[in-house]
Amino acid sequence: MRTNRNSVRVSRRDFLKLAGAGAASIALANFLASCTPKSEGGTLNVLVPAAPDPAPPGVAKFSEEAFAKWKADNGFEVTYEAPPWPQLHDKMAANFASGQYVHDIMYNCGWVPEFADYLTDFVDQLPADLVADLPKSSFSTLTWGGKRLGVVFTLSLLTMFYNTEHLEKAGIKEPPKTWDDLKGVAKQLTGGGQYGWVLNYGAPEGIGGVASYWMCFLQQAGGKVYDDKGMPAFNNEAGVDALQVMVDLMESTDPGSISYVGINDATNVFSAGQASMMMNWPFMLKPANDPATSKVVGKVGTAILPAGPAGSASIDGTDAYTISKLSPNPEAARKLIEFYLDKEVQKRQVLDTGWLPIRLSVLNDPEVQAAAPNAAVILEQATHPYDSYVTPDYNAVTTAIGVEIQKALAGSQSAADAIKNASDQVTEIVKKRG
Amino acid sequence: MMQTTNEYNRKRYRLGLWFTTPAVIVLLTVLAYPIFASLVLSFLRVRFAGQGLSFEFNGLNNYADLLRKELFREALFRSVYFTVIEVIAVIILALLVALMLNHPLGRSAFYRVVLLVPWALAPVANAVLWKWIFNANYGILNQALAGLGLIKENIIWLGSPWLALNMILLADIWKAVPFIALLMLAGLQNIPSYLYKAARLDGANVWQQFVHVTLPGLKTTLVISIVLQSIWALKVFDLIYVLTKGSPADSTILLNYLSWRETFSNLDVGYGAAIANVLFALMFMLALVYIRALRPRQIKREG
Repeated sequence: MRTNRNSVRVSRRDFLKLAGAGAASIALANFLASCTPKSEGGTLNVLVPAAPDPAPPGVAKFSEEAFAKWKADNGFEVTYEAPPWPQLHDKMAANFASGQYVHDIMYNCGWVPEFADYLTDFVDQLPADLVADLPKSSFSTLTWGGKRLGVVFTLSLLTMFYNTEHLEKAGIKEPPKTWDDLKGVAKQLTGGGQYGWVLNYGAPEGIGGVASYWMCFLQQAGGKVYDDKGMPAFNNEAGVDALQVMVDLMESTDPGSISYVGINDATNVFSAGQASMMMNWPFMLKPANDPATSKVVGKVGTAILPAGPAGSASIDGTDAYTISKLSPNPEAARKLIEFYLDKEVQKRQVLDTGWLPIRLSVLNDPEVQAAAPNAAVILEQATHPYDSYVTPDYNAVTTAIGVEIQKALAGSQSAADAIKNASDQVTEIVKKRG
Repeated sequence: MMQTTNEYNRKRYRLGLWFTTPAVIVLLTVLAYPIFASLVLSFLRVRFAGQGLSFEFNGLNNYADLLRKELFREALFRSVYFTVIEVIAVIILALLVALMLNHPLGRSAFYRVVLLVPWALAPVANAVLWKWIFNANYGILNQALAGLGLIKENIIWLGSPWLALNMILLADIWKAVPFIALLMLAGLQNIPSYLYKAARLDGANVWQQFVHVTLPGLKTTLVISIVLQSIWALKVFDLIYVLTKGSPADSTILLNYLSWRETFSNLDVGYGAAIANVLFALMFMLALVYIRALRPRQIKREG
């Protein structure tokens, strides 16, 4: 029998394969569509870090009932995306570059000038009594181009943490108050497998990187990173002295510090009782007194950072909430931020998570002061300079400075050479920005 | 009759095109478009930080910056060093493992399962594992060496430039050996046993059999392994991101990590794209060698 070869016969198997491919394509299209966050008038999308970094109710465990009530009263669901802290900047950069709406509210930490063009200035629409209850200086890192683009939700300055037992055994009656005290006490407490000082010098950039620690010492020396024209102004005695203190401390510093990329690496050493002093954020007091993870429970004291020639100084963690310009629900987003800043929510934030409130009235609450004895220390630290020098190229600048500092700490160049090289690189970065 | 056959074949060809079109679209979207976009970006100056996204033509300035900047030259040198050492180490170790697995005593499935464990670990999980192994105070490496009396003080494995880079290398070699060992094992098992019998009859010892039978028989497998491992070594990222973030003092920055840092951390998108394209060009050349190695050899007939 002759077969007709003028037409292609589609067998049942071929037909099923084609139908399967079609169904898979439809399913894929639906899936891709569902990947894009939708705000259907009833959902707010919020980007925050995962705990233990500062996180709001719904991510961190506090004020859960109040949060549920807020959602019910306002008719909004809240969907959180809570990646680890190091991933936040890249996520925001990719989201903003896409030009697509992704989040209504985003946590920001030193990146407000960088992403200024994508953020809404909503602070003027917050209740006046709320704004009046916030430290004025807390807006310094969130203001760019004359606009206040976010609101800090936790008072987070670097302060000194020290092991009271170590100091007592060494006959030291109080924590160091000056640079010379710090070097002397650290040296005295070093020995027998224990170190006087520990910090994470492994990451050069960002808030909490080695460059930001040097900025504390820089301000203690009376220096600053930029002049009034925005050009580097630290290649001087203050800049070199600030780095020299860090270099001098190296003989009493846990040698592993140069390899610790995160603050938790250094905190672990302190909590194990192997280091006597460190700089850290206020939240540290809670885990340091947690018997499950710490060997120094009840032995942790806090104090303001030792003074240099110009006094004490610190930097601001700048943990803030901001609202995206692309948010279709800016008013609801603002109301959610107001909820995060509610007095009772702020109180539970410190009592349940250890992250201090930003509202002055809550900071002065006797119950808060009793539960967070370092609150008074933070308030005192806040009376001294705490500029974080954030600019649109904060990451590039702190990377350039941090790498040179690491070389000096490793002994491969002098403090003076490091500061000069850093200044030259930062000049190039600032000029490139234009 | 001929015309009918040609028309039949044309219809089959057209139907084949329809079936392959979805896959081609996916490949173009997921592969070709990003590669092309990256190439275009490398010729632009992309302004992002502190202002809205804007693009301006920048010619070859991004590539000129690559040559000018010491960090790029250092990252390129380290990437080449990393790749060469890793390939040599992985090939030698994988061949040894494959020879052991090919031995009658090593043929148990248990050994092959255990061998696959490092390869099966997710890259970030692998990096976190090694972060703890290398930890200066609590890491098992220091504990083991101290227990054996080989060190008196803890070594800061990730604290000095060349040591940190070589520790990352060690971690990557550990993860890479299993897959290459399995490739080698497959190659070994394809060598006809009669060649070994013939060699023994000719009086060849074990080493001579290895050099004159095993290695020639593994030639294609070796080429493929070298090329694949080179590509994978060039694009290492997870270990650096988790273990050192490029520290100490940028001494563990390799090309892939540098491209990420410039693009996403510093938002110098055009410059980061230029670095990525250099890396792409290196890997593309290796891929061409890989494809050529996979082609069936044509035996030339003489006479």
